Amino acid sequence: MIARRQFLGAAAAAVALVKTSTAQAAVADAVGGLPALPAGLPRGADGRLARMATLDLESLQDFTLGFRLMHSKAIKKASMEAFDRLLEREGIDPATPMSAQQVASLVELDPAITITSRSWLANQQITWKTLRDHFHQYSDHYLSEMEAADRAGPGTLELSPRMVIPDYTRHEIHIQPGGYVGDPFAGHIYHYGTNSFYISVIGHNEQDQIHKATAGRLPLPADGKVRRILDMGCGIGQMTAALKERFPDAEVWGVDVGGPMVRYAHMRAQRLGIGANFAQRLSEDTKFPDNYFDLVTSYIMHHELPASATRSVVDEARRVTRPGGVYYPIDFNSAGTMAPPRAMFGLWWDHRWNNEVWSLEYHGLNFTDEIAARGFSIVKNATAALPGFGIRHAIKQA
Amino acid sequence: MATPQPDRPTYTAEAIPSDVNNSVFLGNPVIDNLVSCMVAMSAEMWSTKRRMKVLEAVLAQSGISPDKIEKFVPSDAQTAQWTAERDRYIELVMGPLANQGYKKFATDFDKR
Repeated sequence: MIARRQFLGAAAAAVALVKTSTAQAAVADAVGGLPALPAGLPRGADGRLARMATLDLESLQDFTLGFRLMHSKAIKKASMEAFDRLLEREGIDPATPMSAQQVASLVELDPAITITSRSWLANQQITWKTLRDHFHQYSDHYLSEMEAADRAGPGTLELSPRMVIPDYTRHEIHIQPGGYVGDPFAGHIYHYGTNSFYISVIGHNEQDQIHKATAGRLPLPADGKVRRILDMGCGIGQMTAALKERFPDAEVWGVDVGGPMVRYAHMRAQRLGIGANFAQRLSEDTKFPDNYFDLVTSYIMHHELPASATRSVVDEARRVTRPGGVYYPIDFNSAGTMAPPRAMFGLWWDHRWNNEVWSLEYHGLNFTDEIAARGFSIVKNATAALPGFGIRHAIKQA
Repeated sequence: MATPQPDRPTYTAEAIPSDVNNSVFLGNPVIDNLVSCMVAMSAEMWSTKRRMKVLEAVLAQSGISPDKIEKFVPSDAQTAQWTAERDRYIELVMGPLANQGYKKFATDFDKR
C-alpha cells in the first residue's frame, strides 16, 4: 500500500480517494440505503479501487497474488528446466519450431511439469472462487448498487437482455467461473481477479495505470480531430474510461458482449465521474453509423475471438472508422502455428489450461495482414501503445 | 451459473464451463485433488495469520490484554455465525476432493 501510494504520488491518491468516497456516498443516498453488508463495511477505497469488501477476502487475494509471484519465479522456472531436460532426453532441438499438438504429447505426465500446471490452476481457482463466493453471498447489496447506477450519469448504459449471445463468447476465459457473460458479477470478479495478473505479469494496475498509459500512447488521426472514440470488447471499461479522461470533450463508447461487464464498467465510470458511454453490443455489429469514429481501438480482445470473428470485427471497424481515422487494436504479436518448443509450450498451455479457447486460432492468423486486407493502410515504424504487444497502427483509406 | 436473484435482471447467459476439474495432471486424480486442497489450505492459513496480525495491532492500540481474549465466551449468535463460517472454510479447503478427473493432461486435447 505504501509503496503504491508513493508510486502514484500521495497527493494524487488523496484527491482520487475523496472523489471515490463522495461518489460512493451518492450511490448509497440514491437507493435510500443499500442492503446490509457486515458491520464495518464497505472498507473505503484505495484511490480508484474500492478496497476488497472484507479483510478475509483481501487476505485470500493477497495469498493468491503471492503464490502467483512465487510460482512464476520458482515453480515455473523448475518446470521449464524439466522441459529442457525432456527435450534433451527426446533428442529434440530447442530451436526447431513445433506444433501445439507436438508439444502437448511431449509434456504428458512429466510430473515436474504437470505439478506446475495443477498448482497454478488451483491457485487461479481460489482467486476466482473466493471473489465469486463473496459477491454472491452479498448479491442483494451488489445488485442494488448496479441497479442504482444503471440510469445514473455521467455517461450512459445500454443493456440488451434479448441479444443473442454467440457461443464463442460463452467460454470461461482464464477459468473465471461463468466467464464474461454467465455471472451477474462477472465485472466485479474480473476486476479484482485481474489485478493480480497485472502485478505479476505487466505491472500495477489498481489505479488503471496500464490503461491510462496505453490510452496516452494511442496515435491521433493526421488532422488531429478526435470527436468520437470506440473501444471494442471493452470489458469493464478501464480503457474506455482512460480514453475519456484523455479526450474529455470526445464522445467515447465502449461495447462488449458481456452484460455484467458493461454494467460494472458503467457503474465504475459513473462513480469516478467519467462520462463514457457503454453498450452491450457485439464488436462485429456495433450498430453505429458508417464513418462515425475518429479512433477505434480494442484492448487485448482479439485473441479471445475465433479467426472468423476477428475478420468480422475488422470489417466492422473499417465500416465505423471515418476516412483518415485511426484503427489501433491492441493484442499479442501473432506467433504463428509453429514455434520453438518453449514458446509453443507456453502458447499451448495458455490455450488449453488457462482456457484461452481461441488463442491458437488468433496466433494462426497474421493479424496485421488481415487488417491491411480490409481497407486500412498500416503505418510503418509505429509506436507500441502497449509495450511488448503487437503494433498495428492502421489508417482507414479514403 | 446460478443467478442469485431470479426476479431481478442480471443480463447473463449460460456459460460453457472449463474442464479443469475433470483433468488429471499428476497421473492420479486423487493426487491432483490433494494438491488443490494444499493450495487452498495455504490460502486460508495465510488469511488467518494476516487477520491475527491486524487484530494484534488493533488490540495493542486499544490496550486490550491477552488475558481478556483467552477468557472470552462467545454468544449463541456468534457460535452460529462461526459455525457457518467453519463450513464455508471446509468446503473451500476440502471441496476439491469431490472432483471427478478423467481427462489426461495433454493427449485428451479436444479440438476447439
